[in-house]
Amino acid sequence: MKKKGINFYLHIYFKILAQDIKSKMSYRADFIISTIGMIFTNIAGFVSFWILFRNFPSINGWSYYEMMFLYGFSLISITPVQCLFDNNWNLRMYVYSGDFIKYCFRPINLFFYYQSEIFDIKGLGQLAFGLATMVYAWTKIGLACTPLIILKTIIFLITASLIMIAVMNAAAATCFWITNSFFVMDLALKFRDYAKYPITIFSPVFRFIFTFIIPVAFIAYYPSLVILRPDNIPVLSWISPAFGCLFFWLSYKLWMHGATKYSGTGS
Amino acid sequence: MKLKKYFALTRCGILESLQFRASLLVMFAGNLVYLTVVYFLWKSIYASSGTNSVNGMTFHDTLIYLVLATALFNFMEMYAVWEIGRNIQTGKIVLDLLKPIKYRSYLFWSYSGSFVVNFFTTFLPTFITVCIVTNSAVPLGINLLYFALSIVPAVIINYSIDFIVGTICLYTESIWGINIMKQVIVMLFSGATIPIAFFPKTLKNIVNYLPFTSIYNTPLSILLNGNPQNANILTMLGIQVIWCIALLIVSSVFWKISLRQITVNGG
Repeated sequence: MKKKGINFYLHIYFKILAQDIKSKMSYRADFIISTIGMIFTNIAGFVSFWILFRNFPSINGWSYYEMMFLYGFSLISITPVQCLFDNNWNLRMYVYSGDFIKYCFRPINLFFYYQSEIFDIKGLGQLAFGLATMVYAWTKIGLACTPLIILKTIIFLITASLIMIAVMNAAAATCFWITNSFFVMDLALKFRDYAKYPITIFSPVFRFIFTFIIPVAFIAYYPSLVILRPDNIPVLSWISPAFGCLFFWLSYKLWMHGATKYSGTGS
Repeated sequence: MKLKKYFALTRCGILESLQFRASLLVMFAGNLVYLTVVYFLWKSIYASSGTNSVNGMTFHDTLIYLVLATALFNFMEMYAVWEIGRNIQTGKIVLDLLKPIKYRSYLFWSYSGSFVVNFFTTFLPTFITVCIVTNSAVPLGINLLYFALSIVPAVIINYSIDFIVGTICLYTESIWGINIMKQVIVMLFSGATIPIAFFPKTLKNIVNYLPFTSIYNTPLSILLNGNPQNANILTMLGIQVIWCIALLIVSSVFWKISLRQITVNGG
């Protein structure tokens, strides 16, 4: 079989995307309420952030606005997993009911086809919220605004987002073995809430755990050091894009391994 | 025997939640990670503030408060909105409405079994651990009795709010958005994520006029208060009881009105 190029996949992706949006639009009330719910979640998250840190000028050497930058950064970098990989949440249902077999018969990449089926528009509100927070913190800290630094920010944001995608992929893929992966996914989802804190607040043991075992520190902390503290960037920050790609690749392999092992329900 | 039918439901609930032991385990692991993050976060907050007591709460107070809030959440949260919403979407609600028992009581008593299980598997172990770890910083005296007393209206208030929100689902047929909105509002304004003592003054005043503080903040502040004044306790319990009665009436009237509205697909 001829290897299909990226253009082919992009073309397919937008075709599927259009169908998904059309079907979402037929449940308009639900769509509007869900969007409002998502905005509510972001506002509440910001309010708790504000209540917690407005009392203190700095936490562990991190100023209020630097913390806010971190918060905005983490919101943006968890947007892609919300928008593009939301179908992971349904995986256990498909596997349980046996409907998953329908994906195995398509002549395109299984993982790609499965994930492209759903695009969660709600996540765009979160993206806007995160961008606004980050830009506000950016101006308050007085960071420079050169093309180079913006390019760096974008690259580090994209690679940081791969981490959360990898975590959710791996969590969803557990359902190929244990069927009900909801609790694993719910647990994994909680990790994104911890990304907004600087890793230096933890003791060395937990710093190690949150860096290498549950890589939440790569979602916001290490990549944003490149922007926030340009004089003193640790090695881990520079290699965080590589880590993002590595974790994503590993989770993809795990997911595909589970999918190829999948034997259906027999019906 | 009137109560017999209710206790039969409780028994079923106990058996049902014991069936899902794996979920209990994952929940336990999730809480452990959450509490680790909370511990280090507040520790560095207190270290940076330079004083022992912030807003009248020491580090130990805050930690005990948040740990027990999490335990209380696991104990009280029933996900009733999900259940009602799912019953509406699948049409199962029709069968439940035909049962010779009020739907509201039916749902409550079916969940009561998981109260019992969660009390012994999460709340009690957490409470004992906290007592040991903090070197009995939790005062053990008459306040335990008051705490137990205030839990009863807290559970009923929490359930009534859930039920009111669940009733809204009859109109909207949207679950996720409504539920997430309810969840973030309750978690923030009840003081489950940040103690109410840390709220800025105006926000504190607003929150005091809302029913949410009665769910988590009131029982926990009663528990943490070593030598309670009778008048003080009585006002707190009184407010809880008033909210409890008010919400019971609202939820039952709202349900009765909405039931005429119900449309079930297929059924």
